Amino acid sequence: MAADVLLRKTFEVHGLDFDKAGDTSAEIKAILTDIGMDPDIIMRAGVVTFEAEMNVVMYAVRATVTFTLTEEALSIEVVDEGPGIPDLALAMQEGYSTASDEMREMGFGYGMGLPNIRKTSDQFALESEVGRGTRVFAMIRMDANE
Amino acid sequence: MSDFTHGFRIEQDKCRGCLSCMRACPTHAIRVRGGKARFAPDHCIDCGSCLPACSSGAIAATTWSVKDLSRFKYRVAVPSPVLFGQFPTGITPDHIVQGLLMLGFDAVWDFAVEICLVDRAIKAYVENWKGPFPLISVACPVVVRLVQVSYPRMVDQLICVQPPREIAGREIKRRFSRELDISPNEIAAIHITPCQAKTISIIHPAEEVESTLDGTLGISDVYNAIVASTNVIRAIPDRPSCARTIRNAAFLRSCLGDGLSRIISSHRYLQVTGISNITQVFDDIEKGRLRNVEFVEAHSCWSGCTGGNLTVGNVYVTQSKFNSMISKLPDMDPETLAEVERRYPEEDFLLERPIRPRRVAGSAVSLSERVRLVREAEAILEKLPGYDCGLCGAPTCKDLARDVSIGDAAQSDCVFYSRDRLRQLREIRLRGRE
Repeated sequence: MAADVLLRKTFEVHGLDFDKAGDTSAEIKAILTDIGMDPDIIMRAGVVTFEAEMNVVMYAVRATVTFTLTEEALSIEVVDEGPGIPDLALAMQEGYSTASDEMREMGFGYGMGLPNIRKTSDQFALESEVGRGTRVFAMIRMDANE
Repeated sequence: MSDFTHGFRIEQDKCRGCLSCMRACPTHAIRVRGGKARFAPDHCIDCGSCLPACSSGAIAATTWSVKDLSRFKYRVAVPSPVLFGQFPTGITPDHIVQGLLMLGFDAVWDFAVEICLVDRAIKAYVENWKGPFPLISVACPVVVRLVQVSYPRMVDQLICVQPPREIAGREIKRRFSRELDISPNEIAAIHITPCQAKTISIIHPAEEVESTLDGTLGISDVYNAIVASTNVIRAIPDRPSCARTIRNAAFLRSCLGDGLSRIISSHRYLQVTGISNITQVFDDIEKGRLRNVEFVEAHSCWSGCTGGNLTVGNVYVTQSKFNSMISKLPDMDPETLAEVERRYPEEDFLLERPIRPRRVAGSAVSLSERVRLVREAEAILEKLPGYDCGLCGAPTCKDLARDVSIGDAAQSDCVFYSRDRLRQLREIRLRGRE
């Protein structure tokens, strides 16, 4: 079942680091471009990483983003230290957001982040413990590519 | 192998291997090996940055000549608005049109109507677009190719509306074949272009369809002939003046680089010129930092189309002339407006096919092999100095590392690793001075 890992990279993302927001997703997209991945898969990986990264910047203290590539799929796992999400079902509703007005002003916090990640990926998992942190896992399959 | 047509060729015997073009190329398509420059067609976006960078005249633009027109029965010139700002005062738009006719054209098409039609189509496109944002204008063919090659994830953000010159080509074929009762194939619609990139967009459209236009002549190809003909025209007594050539300001404004600002509310609109600035903005778009911008109008040339690489006049003088002409013209005239109202509901303005990312060679090998090459390149890069001096013949250390990983170069091409390389460079340099 477990396919050989071709590539694994880990990145750190820090809360409130709006300056660097988007850098991790850009870096992952650059790696995938170098590999000559299908643009559609790169775009999906970009959306998933970007939305997860923004959630960290907006709400958490810090997080590790782990990107793993196998022959069959690429996956992105974001594990953060932060406030956690009290109601997962509510957080998954489109348009639900606890973002501040400032964040909305910057073009974020429309309550589409987590729903977008789920929509864009082939497999999605969300776990959270209030007061400790949140884990988001998303997988995109390669079928369309080869 | 690649089947992309490009508007440039590097003449090997003239090339002195000076590295200037390699440094100027925004997509890192050029390598200098064995003292000679060569470019990777897959990565060339026809921006023309290499052309002025070459001091030895080895890089030449491939163009049509007036001779090529002779195989058509009826020839229509479709001059870019830029043409009308190129000449000294005293040579009027009327003279320019007459000059084109003397050059061998049977008619001159002023595409003000098409510009207005396309503005409307773009406005409707932007208003109905649900995202992702921002949308990117396709007026500049270099921008389109830059997205295809370097920002393939953004291709869906390119506005799928045809440029006005293509709509003009279609209308010319339709109208003249009906009026003259000849086949559309016997009619040539020739764009008089300010740049090489538009030539390529006609020979090899980005969306892989056939252009409605048949070819191009550069402004620099017709300039002298028009100046010469003006003297002849002036000598004709009681010469009838032709119909007013430029009827409104919209036509001229379209090539100043901010032509579309009038149709999109300003805070959602960005105008970007110059390829390095465009790259910065596109990087920000990729990083999701421009989410509130709806529309980006980008032009590869600093000054919009007035600074194209086939223009003749000083770009600032041209712009000043344009501003002066614009101030004397109405924004819109009733004749053009009536034609726009008549044609808009009847015609389709969308691209026949969407623009897709450019398929770049190398994606044929398996995923694991590609990952292996990327990791190998990373390992090689670790050992390179990181000064990006370019003396190896690749523009950056990263490019050399990649070239080495695919067997297209050797680590010993780096001057840090090989005295031979330095000796070789000295020889090439000396030979170039002879």
